[in-house]
Amino acid sequence: MAFSLLLVFLLPILSLPFVYFAGKKSSKAAGTLVGLVALANIGLVLSAVPEVINNTVYTESYTWISVLNSHFSLFLDGISASIAIITLVLIVAAAFFSIRYMDGKKNLPVYYCLLSLLSVGLVGVFITSNFLLFYFCWELMLVPAYFIIGGWGYRDSYKAAFKLFIFTHAGAVFVLLGIGAIYITTGQSDMFAAQTALLNPAYSEIAKWILLALTAGFAVKMAVVPVHMWLPDAHSEAPATMSALLSGVIISAGAYAILRLSLVTVLPAVTLNDLAFATSFLHGLAIFGVISAFFGAFIALVETDIKRIIAYSSIAHMGYVMFGLSLFPSAIALALAQSSASAGGLATAQAALTLTAIVAASVAVLGTVLHILTHAVSKGLLFLSAGSVMHQTEERDIRKMGGLASKMPFTGVSSVIAALSIAGSPPFACFWSELFIFVGAFEIIKHDGFYTLPTVFMLIATVLSLAYSLRFVNKVFLGKSKPESAEESEPEPKKKIWDVPHSMKLAMAILVVFIVVLGTYPAFFINLIKAVALI
Amino acid sequence: MVSVFDVVFPIASLVAFALLTIPVFKLFRKTTHKTAMALVWFALVFAVAFAGVANLAIQYYQVPIEQSFVNITLGSTSDAPSAVSGTFMIDAISVYMTIIMVAVSAAIILYSVLYVNPAERPSERYFAIMLILVAALIGAVCAGDLLTLFIFWEAAAAGSSFLMLYRKSRQSINATLKYIVMIVIASAFIVFGLSLVYGITGTLNFWAVKEALMALGDKSLLVLAFIFIAAGYAIEAAIVPFHFWLPDAYNAAPASSSAFLSALVDQGSYYVLIRVLIFILTPTAVLDWRLMLAFMAAFTMIVGNMFALIQNNIKLLIGNICVADVGYNLVAMTSIVPGVVGVATLGLQGNLYFFLIGGITTALAFMVVGIMNHYGFKTMKDFAGIGRRMPLSSFALLIAALSFAGVPPLGGFMAKYLVFTSAIEANYAWLAVIGVLMSVVQTAYLFRLVNVMYAKKPADDRKIKEPIKLLIPVFILVGAIIILGLFPNIVLDPIQRVVEQFPFLP
Repeated sequence: MAFSLLLVFLLPILSLPFVYFAGKKSSKAAGTLVGLVALANIGLVLSAVPEVINNTVYTESYTWISVLNSHFSLFLDGISASIAIITLVLIVAAAFFSIRYMDGKKNLPVYYCLLSLLSVGLVGVFITSNFLLFYFCWELMLVPAYFIIGGWGYRDSYKAAFKLFIFTHAGAVFVLLGIGAIYITTGQSDMFAAQTALLNPAYSEIAKWILLALTAGFAVKMAVVPVHMWLPDAHSEAPATMSALLSGVIISAGAYAILRLSLVTVLPAVTLNDLAFATSFLHGLAIFGVISAFFGAFIALVETDIKRIIAYSSIAHMGYVMFGLSLFPSAIALALAQSSASAGGLATAQAALTLTAIVAASVAVLGTVLHILTHAVSKGLLFLSAGSVMHQTEERDIRKMGGLASKMPFTGVSSVIAALSIAGSPPFACFWSELFIFVGAFEIIKHDGFYTLPTVFMLIATVLSLAYSLRFVNKVFLGKSKPESAEESEPEPKKKIWDVPHSMKLAMAILVVFIVVLGTYPAFFINLIKAVALI
Repeated sequence: MVSVFDVVFPIASLVAFALLTIPVFKLFRKTTHKTAMALVWFALVFAVAFAGVANLAIQYYQVPIEQSFVNITLGSTSDAPSAVSGTFMIDAISVYMTIIMVAVSAAIILYSVLYVNPAERPSERYFAIMLILVAALIGAVCAGDLLTLFIFWEAAAAGSSFLMLYRKSRQSINATLKYIVMIVIASAFIVFGLSLVYGITGTLNFWAVKEALMALGDKSLLVLAFIFIAAGYAIEAAIVPFHFWLPDAYNAAPASSSAFLSALVDQGSYYVLIRVLIFILTPTAVLDWRLMLAFMAAFTMIVGNMFALIQNNIKLLIGNICVADVGYNLVAMTSIVPGVVGVATLGLQGNLYFFLIGGITTALAFMVVGIMNHYGFKTMKDFAGIGRRMPLSSFALLIAALSFAGVPPLGGFMAKYLVFTSAIEANYAWLAVIGVLMSVVQTAYLFRLVNVMYAKKPADDRKIKEPIKLLIPVFILVGAIIILGLFPNIVLDPIQRVVEQFPFLP
């Protein structure tokens, strides 16, 4: 369709007043409306998918700030389409989940409006190719998130939201510096145009700084150790729906941005002029990935707060994604490009073309993007399940839980599926993505021996992730049910615990279906991701 | 073509209306609908002023783009700039500044009429002075020689003290005294510097001075003149370490005055700084002092933001943000290299955009804080939970805070983007890094404020009936910040002419 991507932007914004006034009447209507808008957006994205598969890229461009050479340019390729679809699925799930989960909270019309606004930023990040528009969406993910966490979260929620805001905004200003520097050096504000324009030996020095600034900024959003400090608080104090979106999409947006802007747009320019720097940069990413994977997994093993366990597991999984990103095959691409350049002298265009071919064929990149998707649905489901548990038991310490599977069978089963997926066991979603990342790693090891040790460590980290997932399931759902507050002397009337209402089950069921489908038949998304546009 | 009439008309009409305001308000005082009558009166004033400015813009845009400025001499008809004469000079920057001066002052005077009750005894003088200040500022941005500029600009700067003094509290008298002393010292410096320039070049006309300075051999006298003039304007623009008067003065003044001063007089001072120091007296071709400018920018940003970080009084906090804004403007100024072909000109675009956005954002913040002060909320502690008690005003303050912090899609973001990018353009990447770090500090204290407003429990949970009328001008500015942030091309496209004219500058 002609305006489908523009509509993806506009629909949630135009629906804001309707959501607000529907929310004044009943929160059910508002939640359903947000869900339906997201569903419509899925339809719009899907309408562009055939063209993506045929031509690898689908673009729309509108006049915007012509003075700064900035157009309102939207695009869709395999990577962005697949992540956008999964994001919208999570938003649908979050909207339906909210209806009963948020029951009885104050100011719900505002909550649904913020959710709707958040969805604009969340999806927008993946479908814009203009830097300024990208940054608009990047920050639009942040402001509604701040207010949702602060206003409807648990305990000291505003403090957690403050941490989230300051950390990620500090990262974002470095991104801003990076895109400003790209604009200054090349005069381009579009990531595809900038990629080709940066492939100029004169820009090699500044390209390094741009690469570092962008990557550092995005890494904060990704919550890779050592800039992860905001994540455990924000994830655990947020309402479950927001945790699901934060962990599923927002931190993955950092990974997507590193892939799209740092690695695809800027790295070729660095590689072309300074191979050693580019290689050590990628090695650095691998090291940070391994550290994050271990750090997150170890803390998840000993943490006793139900949501903090999942939060730390997110850090661990961002470690995987970071490791996957570090396998970006620029070194090989460069070797080929240089040989072709010395032969024909068509350095820039050819290098870019070769890069496209290699990246498209790269199993590691495929695995990384697939892991973003599978982690999003798995972690989203896990957070929604944890939210259900907290909603029904009003308890968040796993030492006081146990045997909940008999009382909440649906939540129990879906949690087990999500936890197994997180642990990487077949036939659930994360199995495939982790498999592809490791296959990609072995492929790279043939060219670069450095990766041997990190790959071994990552394999060990997988075992750890199985350990904390099983511990989570064991403590919460299996075993004997703990007596309610044994220490308390006066016997209070025991609260009956039953399973969650149907709308929350529906939300979780959507994600369960995606986990199982991605686990048993990943072909649709794999084919989609392979339609990758890099120039 | 632009004639004398086109330039003088907006200035003269505003002055005439200012003088008429005093008897007219005395008449109004006898009627029952004083505020409504005052609003009708100002609607008339600004209709005429807008017509004058629109006429000026239309006349100017008929001038071919190659002619980078139009010189208008009072008195003699000859085009040749005489040595000392009242001249005006119109270029795209002056036209742009004139438009934003009139537009922003309209919104602020609307607020002032509702904030300062026209029934109050000396209020007619207050409004008359506001109009005269707008006229003086328009005169300053259209001035074509250093003396005309000096006269109009000092009229605006010194006249500001009356706005601060209004309601004569002990605090405001102290702050105004401080301000007047600073302004007098500054103008003495400037006059001395200008006399040296006149001695060196034998003229005060902008382009004649520039031409003479470009051909100057021995620059020692010029350096002396530069030091005096730069120090004088640094005091008036509140550049660190001469900034101490600003937070005090803005804190002591009534909110409508603070909004007016921060949105118009402050921006006027940056314009003067750019025009005199960067375009005319010491462009890089004459004297390369960009490194010094970069250091001043860094210090001003650091001091402004650090002082804001420790403020407990919200109005003082915003006063310190004004100081930080001076720093951001200076950052953009480092990359302005007039008259050079092929140099990108993001700095000037950033400056001109910042004039508008920074001005209306600080004005918005002062307006909202003025409303809140009215109910006795002054410090961080009082602001606890105010988000629930005064939702509309708090929302406006939130928008101002987000814009200050540089969060898109608000205007402050685009302003900061242009400013920091221009620093990279000027090869001062370190300055851009300091800028973004200070921007993070700024976000921290602004979000501390947001946190207090929305997260803390109020001492008293009752809702406050918000003054809806006062919120109308506030929400006009909120709308402007959002729209200019989403569609910055509304402002950037007219500025583009300035940039296109760069190669044609003498």
